[in-house]
Amino acid sequence: MSVQSAKPKSLHGSGREYWTKLRSNIKRDKWLYLLLLPGLIYFIVFKYLPMFGIVIAFENYVPYSGVLGSEWVGLKWFQYFFRFPAWVTYLTNTLILSLMNIVFYFPAPIILALLLNEMRSLRYKKLLQTLLYVPHFISIVIVVSITFVMFGPSGIVYKLTQQILGTTINYMGSPDTFRWMIIGQTVWKETGWGTIIFLAALTNVDTQLYEAAMVDGAGRLRRLWHITLPAIRSTIVLMLILRMGSVLDTGYDHLILMANPLNRKVSQTLDVFVYQQGIQSGQFSYASAIGLMKAVISVTLVVSSNKIAHLLGEQGLY
Amino acid sequence: MKKLVSLVLALVMVLSLASFAAAEEPFEISILLPQFPSDIDFVMENNPVLKAIEEKTGVKLAIQWGPNSTYGDILNTTLADKNPPMLIAATDARAPLIVNSARAGAFWDLSEAVQDEANYPYLAAGNDGVYGNIAVDGHVYGIYRSRAYPRGGIYYRLDIAKEVGFDREVATLDDLTELAEKLAGYSADTYALNMCSYTAGTINVITVAFGAPNAWGVDENGNIYPAHLSPAYKEGLDWLRHLYEIGGIDPNFAQISTSDWDNIERTGKAFMRFDCLDNAHRQQEWFENNAGVTEQIFQSVGTVAKADGSITVWPQNPGFNGEILVLKSAVSEADLPKVLKFLDWCNGPEGQTIINAGLEGLTYDVNEEGFRYVPEEKSDEYSKNSQMYHNNINQMGMGVPGNLESPKSAVNRGATQLRQRYEDLNLLLAPYAVANPCYPFVSETYTAFGAQLDQIISDAAVQYIAGLIDEDGLRAAWEDWAMQGGEMITAEYNDAYHAAMAAE
Repeated sequence: MSVQSAKPKSLHGSGREYWTKLRSNIKRDKWLYLLLLPGLIYFIVFKYLPMFGIVIAFENYVPYSGVLGSEWVGLKWFQYFFRFPAWVTYLTNTLILSLMNIVFYFPAPIILALLLNEMRSLRYKKLLQTLLYVPHFISIVIVVSITFVMFGPSGIVYKLTQQILGTTINYMGSPDTFRWMIIGQTVWKETGWGTIIFLAALTNVDTQLYEAAMVDGAGRLRRLWHITLPAIRSTIVLMLILRMGSVLDTGYDHLILMANPLNRKVSQTLDVFVYQQGIQSGQFSYASAIGLMKAVISVTLVVSSNKIAHLLGEQGLY
Repeated sequence: MKKLVSLVLALVMVLSLASFAAAEEPFEISILLPQFPSDIDFVMENNPVLKAIEEKTGVKLAIQWGPNSTYGDILNTTLADKNPPMLIAATDARAPLIVNSARAGAFWDLSEAVQDEANYPYLAAGNDGVYGNIAVDGHVYGIYRSRAYPRGGIYYRLDIAKEVGFDREVATLDDLTELAEKLAGYSADTYALNMCSYTAGTINVITVAFGAPNAWGVDENGNIYPAHLSPAYKEGLDWLRHLYEIGGIDPNFAQISTSDWDNIERTGKAFMRFDCLDNAHRQQEWFENNAGVTEQIFQSVGTVAKADGSITVWPQNPGFNGEILVLKSAVSEADLPKVLKFLDWCNGPEGQTIINAGLEGLTYDVNEEGFRYVPEEKSDEYSKNSQMYHNNINQMGMGVPGNLESPKSAVNRGATQLRQRYEDLNLLLAPYAVANPCYPFVSETYTAFGAQLDQIISDAAVQYIAGLIDEDGLRAAWEDWAMQGGEMITAEYNDAYHAAMAAE
């Protein structure tokens, strides 16, 4: 296509120059820009416009009075959050869970993708992939229910450990097992789905490299170490940077479903607190303030981890 | 072609105008109500009960249901909705968003309407003290949903108690302990006390029976203090801990969903419960309808005296369970009297009967003496009808002038003895009910942190009962509570309480 061969003008420059260049670019590639339009509208309507709602974090928002009519309270809710030491617990729980997630869940799809990549039978590989994607489409409510049936007091795993160890392990109602159960469920549910992006990266590896390595006498492990892993390194780094942006996100539905009075000490995270304050107690302003704080920290983390990636010689996110 | 289109358009316009003029649309009233689970789904279309209400009042009723287990969430999101229903049943009159919205003017101020005997005789017949209790800053914003006071208590399986050798009335705490211990020994797979993840009711019943205050107490110097600091609170917990130790409570009670609570009794896994007393006759009815039981197998406990002979009872509610609010954003000033007229009707004899009991020939019959009853041979049919057409409509019931049902319910079958006993117990227990002195006050810190703080206390209690923490752990949790805002709430309640005392 002719559009592809001609390079658009570089948009460096300032002021009027920038806009004239942009206009001429749009004029020339109008069809491509038209293609961009639906995505652009989506982001404006669903991502940018709702951002104005953030102002309720600085108000004592009452739905009846509306965003414009509610009383302005400034930083009251932010101060509220730090007024009592409970926030330390929420933050610690959030960070521990996130860290465990990065250490134990994050590598899982990479390992699985590498294993799948080594499969000889293409048909079997395809079948396996499809089966691995299935858990992703199972609602977390169902996953938790299944866990209850298996690990609960009348479940098979509970009974088996009782038989083998002689003592009972209260999987579903103990602060010691809670985080492992959460990680276990996440790994079971999302690992298969997570392989997609890494498998896509693996298809880009030049097969000639493998052939050359084979000629040089490199075994499977050597090829994995010297060709496959370096080839998907940038993808891994990219995913890790994106993951940094959600270090403070633990989700609330999963945790609320698994929480009970016996494990609340460890199941209370920032997201759960936001849900409790915002939806259950109807304190929309307070919840928004904490959510906003989380967002600011997340953006900072993404930007700084991107910087670190640059310093380490990686391409990073942008 | 163009002509044809315009002709059709004109025809449509004429027709719609004609229909507008011919039948005046009935005034539509929308209402959000909590829905409790049942075996058969509620039917909206061609529902004779709804039809009857609509015929009597001339309004069209649009009910929006919110499942009870997440009703708080639904209520909050509904209040934030652009097009909320006209009426909402708020189950917690002190929820932060309800109080804040009331202050912002989201609800119609009904202070004058509830005194207006000429226009709203039944609303005006309500108890002024209770209206005062639900008021926010002195303004009445809702019609309270009156509840039996007191309603909390103890009931147990009479037949099992006899089997394990307990055949007398429970009159003292020692009797209760003996009964619980004997029930615990019934068999290895059954438990004495039915507990689930909702523990507040159970703990309140037993701690108040031991003499602890209801949520907040007033000490000898006239200062407010939290219930858990009273020695009787720990005695109550110790009682439960002891029962747990001897195998009288399911070791996994903290993980049992509230929706399974009834089933544990129905499957014969536990024999005693600390909860709403009216559950005793509901369970009896269930056994009669589903297990062919004909004798009275449940018994509700009356007064339980302490060692010194004194009696204290947890009332479960402050005389009401939430309120019905009228939303300003959905009801115009001109329509307000129509809505209030409807609410007034709901509180009258006709309204109360339909809302609480259903319709004659559908959910009940009337006997020769003019009382409502369910004939034996129709009990299956009527029970099915109740669930399909009438279930949860009683959530709309307020009953502020007291019970005006006509015809009134008749004594019938085993369950009705318990029903009668329930009404007797309400009168018997009322003088011993312990009120929460802080109910009328709003604490800002409690509004912001109360949910988490209550959890600290109740989680610690659960862990103590289950033997996961000892007394030191319990005290550490209480200190944590004080540090996390409990102290500040106590101070705020004290200020409000002293101000109110000084004003009197």
